[in-house]
Amino acid sequence: MTSSSKKDLTLAALAAVFLILAAVFLTDALGRPKLPAPLPLVDTNFLSTATVRRSYADLVKAKDDLSDFDCYTCHEKGKAPPLRYDSRQNLIVAKEHADVVMGHGSHGRNNNCFNCHNETNLELLQSRDGRQLRFSDSPQLCGSCHGPTYRDWETGVHGRTGGYWNRTGEPTDRKACVNCHDPHSPHFPGRHPAPGPHGLHETADAPSTQPETHR
Amino acid sequence: METPEPVPDMNRRSFLRTSAVLTTGLAALAASLKPLMEMTDFPTAERFMQKYYKEMSKTDMEKVLKRIADDVEQQYGLRPEVRDYKPLNGVEYVYCLNLTRCIGCRKCVHACVAENNQSRSPEIQYIRVLKLPHGSLDIEKADHNYAPESVPEKGFFYMPVQCQQCKNPPCVKVCPVHATWQETDGITVIDYDWCIGCRYCEAACPYWARRFNFTKPSIPKERINPNMSYLGNRPRRQGVMEKCHFCIQRTRQGKYPACLEVCPTGARKFGNILDPSSEVSHILRTKRVFIQLKEEMGTNPRFFYYFDV
Repeated sequence: MTSSSKKDLTLAALAAVFLILAAVFLTDALGRPKLPAPLPLVDTNFLSTATVRRSYADLVKAKDDLSDFDCYTCHEKGKAPPLRYDSRQNLIVAKEHADVVMGHGSHGRNNNCFNCHNETNLELLQSRDGRQLRFSDSPQLCGSCHGPTYRDWETGVHGRTGGYWNRTGEPTDRKACVNCHDPHSPHFPGRHPAPGPHGLHETADAPSTQPETHR
Repeated sequence: METPEPVPDMNRRSFLRTSAVLTTGLAALAASLKPLMEMTDFPTAERFMQKYYKEMSKTDMEKVLKRIADDVEQQYGLRPEVRDYKPLNGVEYVYCLNLTRCIGCRKCVHACVAENNQSRSPEIQYIRVLKLPHGSLDIEKADHNYAPESVPEKGFFYMPVQCQQCKNPPCVKVCPVHATWQETDGITVIDYDWCIGCRYCEAACPYWARRFNFTKPSIPKERINPNMSYLGNRPRRQGVMEKCHFCIQRTRQGKYPACLEVCPTGARKFGNILDPSSEVSHILRTKRVFIQLKEEMGTNPRFFYYFDV
């Protein structure tokens, strides 16, 4: 075979290969890689800016059910309700107040209702220095023991703020202590976390195979 | 592609050879151009000729904002309010995050996505919440894929990381086209129409804060936030960078950023450091321990992590 005809043969073969490849690409003969299924949208509950709890002031503002604060439908006026304790000095919570979990302070030492509630007028609160406060003024009661935290709260450093950082314009929305803390059991409750980032090659039917720390 | 050797006279063989080569070349070219047939997002002349952000006059900007609103309306079927918010005078933003209070619930991550029109699939998130064991600040030990039934988990603390709005930002230095810069209020912004997508800034950022749109972002119509800004949360194109911009469309109107509004514990604090009565001023004055992440890099972040002591 001469070198010229060898060259022609090679060229012809190359041309054929290119033509076949072009045809394959143009007709999508090999198919396309499957697109991953769209990721699920996040539950809109995670986008809610609502506080964990609603304060007395919130309930009043929303004209909501205030029957929980209506002490004298059951209690007798002017008469301090008796407190009962078990053998380990734990307060026995009456079944009418079963929603109250006593968990304020360590070692169960804060076990007297009248450390915070007014003994003679149950619709008032009473701070350690003897001030009688309405339910809507509860931060001052909290502040009578938790001084540094109260100071931080007053300047906006502790607790939630919302609305406007720009003090000269619209008002800043300040939340009260009880918007986040249950006064009877103030530890901030745990919650289910929102979904984390999805792996790059993760699909619904094939979750990522990488070790958790490397995804 | 091979070209046939010049031959003095065209004979049958050389004609066949030449035409075979030509046909192959044309067919290969057609095949390689096929993806263009599927392209839908051709830049209009208007967008192609658009000026650099800092060189635009007021009327130029008005035209551009209208063009963006039209694009969004065409694509998502709702008319957005697109504005170009300018930095406020006498304001420098600082973010403080209380590591004692953060419980790692990731609500900030998703509030940010909702506010800033990030792509949902594939997913782009500006905030990454790191879970770290108590007693260490070693980022190497961090995990961001935690998914327990309930947070916080015992023995761990959580550290959300987002753009630190550095005073000395390495990302700005490496941008070859000046598509990202620091504004007078301290926010480092990106002109999405000027970005060429080289991802240098992503590589330069020591906080993994910059994100790249590898594909066309997809956002469901019902989740679009119609309050948009040019340098902030207007929908991005494929092939551009994006990152946290302290919710420009909110903060430059005096509002708190979306991540702060949604935080259930009040761990996030934001404000004007030049105002001595702001929360952030109080924190930096009175809280004893605060850290700037990777302080040794010399980036001087405007994002401070602190503890309640």
